[in-house]
Amino acid sequence: MPELFVGKLWDRLIKRAVEHRVINTQVLFEDIVKPAGILFRALGGDAGLALKISQSTHHQGERSWLRRVARSEEKIELAWRDDEALYLPSSINLFPDASLNRELYFWLAALAVEIRDGSWFIENQQATARLLNKFPGLNARYQRLLHATLLCRPDIGSLSTDNAAQEEILRQALTMPGYKSLLPQAQYPWHPVHLWLHPSPPLSANTPSAPPARLKEFEQNENSKLVAQDQRKHKAERQDIQERKDGFMMFFRAESILSWAEYIKVNRPTDDDENEDAQRAADQMDVITVTRDGKSTASRIRFDLDLPPEESDDMPLEEGILLPEWHYKKNQLLTDHCRVQSMVAINATPSALPAHLTVTAQRIRRQFETLVSVRAWQKKQDEGAEIDMDAYVQHKVERQRGAFVANNGLFKTLYAQERNLSCLLLADISQSTDAYVNNNMRIIDVIRDSLFLFSEALFVTADQFGLYAFSSLRRDQVRFHVIKSFSEKYNDQVRGRINAIKPGYYTRMGAAIRHAGSLLSKQVSHQRILLLLTDGKPNDLDWYEGRYGIEDTRMALNEVRAQGIRPFCVTIDEKAGSYLPYLFGAGGFIVIHDPSQLPHKLLSLYTKIIP
Amino acid sequence: MTKSVASISEVTLPRVASEIPFYKPHGSEVELFEHAFSQQLPLLIKGPTGCGKTRFVTHMAARLKRPLYTVSCHDDLTATDLVGRHLINDSGTYWNDGPLTRAVREGGICYLDEVVEARKDTTVVLHPLTDDRRILPLERTGEILQAPPQFMLVVSYNPGYQNFLKGMKPSTRQRFVSLRFGFPQPELEQDVVIAETGIDPETAKLLVKLVSALRSLKAHDLEEVASTRLVVYAASLIKNGFAPVAACRAALVEALTDDEEIINALMEVVNACFGE
Ligand SMILES: Nc1ncnc2c1ncn2[C@@H]1O[C@H](COP(=O)(O)OP(=O)(O)OP(=O)(O)O)[C@@H](O)[C@H]1O
Ligand SMILES: [Mg+2]
Repeated sequence: MPELFVGKLWDRLIKRAVEHRVINTQVLFEDIVKPAGILFRALGGDAGLALKISQSTHHQGERSWLRRVARSEEKIELAWRDDEALYLPSSINLFPDASLNRELYFWLAALAVEIRDGSWFIENQQATARLLNKFPGLNARYQRLLHATLLCRPDIGSLSTDNAAQEEILRQALTMPGYKSLLPQAQYPWHPVHLWLHPSPPLSANTPSAPPARLKEFEQNENSKLVAQDQRKHKAERQDIQERKDGFMMFFRAESILSWAEYIKVNRPTDDDENEDAQRAADQMDVITVTRDGKSTASRIRFDLDLPPEESDDMPLEEGILLPEWHYKKNQLLTDHCRVQSMVAINATPSALPAHLTVTAQRIRRQFETLVSVRAWQKKQDEGAEIDMDAYVQHKVERQRGAFVANNGLFKTLYAQERNLSCLLLADISQSTDAYVNNNMRIIDVIRDSLFLFSEALFVTADQFGLYAFSSLRRDQVRFHVIKSFSEKYNDQVRGRINAIKPGYYTRMGAAIRHAGSLLSKQVSHQRILLLLTDGKPNDLDWYEGRYGIEDTRMALNEVRAQGIRPFCVTIDEKAGSYLPYLFGAGGFIVIHDPSQLPHKLLSLYTKIIP
Repeated sequence: MTKSVASISEVTLPRVASEIPFYKPHGSEVELFEHAFSQQLPLLIKGPTGCGKTRFVTHMAARLKRPLYTVSCHDDLTATDLVGRHLINDSGTYWNDGPLTRAVREGGICYLDEVVEARKDTTVVLHPLTDDRRILPLERTGEILQAPPQFMLVVSYNPGYQNFLKGMKPSTRQRFVSLRFGFPQPELEQDVVIAETGIDPETAKLLVKLVSALRSLKAHDLEEVASTRLVVYAASLIKNGFAPVAACRAALVEALTDDEEIINALMEVVNACFGE
């Protein structure tokens, strides 16, 4: 009896559907996000949309099929698209076959290209039909997914009459997409349709306008409560606090609460405005939120350790790299004394070269171009543009003497000088770079422009280069920003990160140099150059000041030299420190007083650097 | 048609092609070329690789019944390579014309492909040839050649190419009539693919759809963009019995990137067109 057979199959499937949570058929969002994004964009999806994980939706239908049968608390993650992102489930484990689960991800990404506003029921069918028509290769995939999906849907026989009728129509809409225009009402919501996109859901709590009709329709039917809503609201709340004008927020590490309290009591002679100083220090701090009403320190402290990483603009890449520090008084290298944290600005918006630099950049490129084409005549070549007159005369003389000479090496040719160079630019972005060099530029602006111009130049010369920036907050937090690693291309993304650098914290130069050195020493080039862009002296909140800082920096420079790296320094400072030659040697640095000198100085520096 | 500079001295002079190679115009470029030719103006063609520049010039040379000298420029190409040099034999030295000089002497078309790749000094010899003097001074021999009316210089370069910085000086560039090639419209590209390979229209259409999808990944995901040339390759593989998915992988996907993850993603796009 066919019914019986189907029933058995059905049972097996249900069991598998429940078991597959254990069996490893699950496909994760992380595994497919890149290729799914590429597919989405290739088929015509908006390249501006990010791919994100959708928040799960409680499917609360009383007779939610899986829950009823398997008594498992079912959370359903559906996919949808809005103006900012394409949301896909964090994982898909719907089918007992990993490759099908993977295919479902790709199907959803493809469908998201076609889906337009409209009724959920009608638009999903039509988008499916359009997509299959445009990309016929997807037909086979759709059939596989459809087949597997239908096996996962509730048994029509087990449903009440109205739900059965509804299910029947849904199945037809899936099998022959584009023909059904009305989904009949039923007492209970339908089983979720995983092949279709959700009508862009999470209703944000603060959306003032009424949800679109299609959403209402969906909401009523689906009777689902959106978990995401809570989260959105939570976020909004926090946003409110951040935007409060009467207090201010700061972010810093748990263990530095005390030091922060200590810190604001210290009257730093360099800063005339204590409050401003406190504000600044506060702004520099990280990780925990603290609100302060302006009267007493930390009168209201709010811990918010649950900040998701994407909420902070710098994402730590690793636990941290431990590095030594030189204690000149003890004459001793303190091992594992500093912790370097690598971070990358993930929120930086890609950008083009800033308009104010285009002319300068062009000039620099042209100048550097001449560097590239430095060529030398190579004599005594078998082939070449010119006759090598010396060799030729010699040849003639020999022949006239009657000697047998071969016609070899009578030409000369131009050879490009082989240059094989890696350059690491390390920019100091400590708080002091916030100072103005002249009426309209801060040091950080000059540093930013230098990063741009250097990149333009190095791009022309086709040398390997990496861009990094650093600052520090005591020895346990040497912040090392990756702007462009050696393997990355110099592109809008990188320019965006250059744009995103902003002043903060202090200058633990030694640790930064050591770390830069270790990155550079991984480069296989003949020549390795470490170029430091800074506004001055090493210093940090603790004893890392004055002589101590200079000596450690000097030691660090010696260490990188020993690795075959040549350090250079570009200093933006009117009163260039006398310590510069001490650190970099006589020819190892240039001082820029006026940013307009930059292009010229860069070229002269570079000609100094290259052989 | 393209000869390496080293071997150009040995080959016999190119004759006027007896057959006109197939070329499907995108717009009015044929008329423009003819106009430039009759007005004795040099022509500059900008466009990405594999979009039909070489084919166009070959076609036009045959059409105008001029011999064509094609030089693929590279970063070691010097003015000497274009103009000529002294060579040595038993009796002493003798002068040997370069391809540019030959084209001038014969009233042919000289096509410098990827001209920005060439050494800077090459542009120097082009200046007097491309302005109203139309002369080619041979410094080494003291000769000054006056280009006949049939001589035409055509140069091309790829503006999106990495070394756009090496772009030509405006003083040179402004002497030229410019033509910009892009990738053809889908219908046109389809016709090209069919004409070149004899593939069935349905497959040609899908191939062109695939390549348009891949092109839309430029900037965000890919640095290179699939050219008409690659589509033609893929089509000829399919025509020769390769399974479409495998052919697309070999001719298109692998040519665009080495990154395995991206290759897999691109294969998803291929599957969307040819999947089974
Ligand atoms: N309009 C066209 N008509 C005919 N064939 C074309 C056309 N466009 C492209 N093709 C085909 O594309 C192939 C590549 O074109 P071609 O070699 O002319 O490219 P190109 O622009 O010179 O590239 P490159 O810059 O790499 O030299 C040709 O061999 C031909 O098959
Ligand atoms: Mg070509």
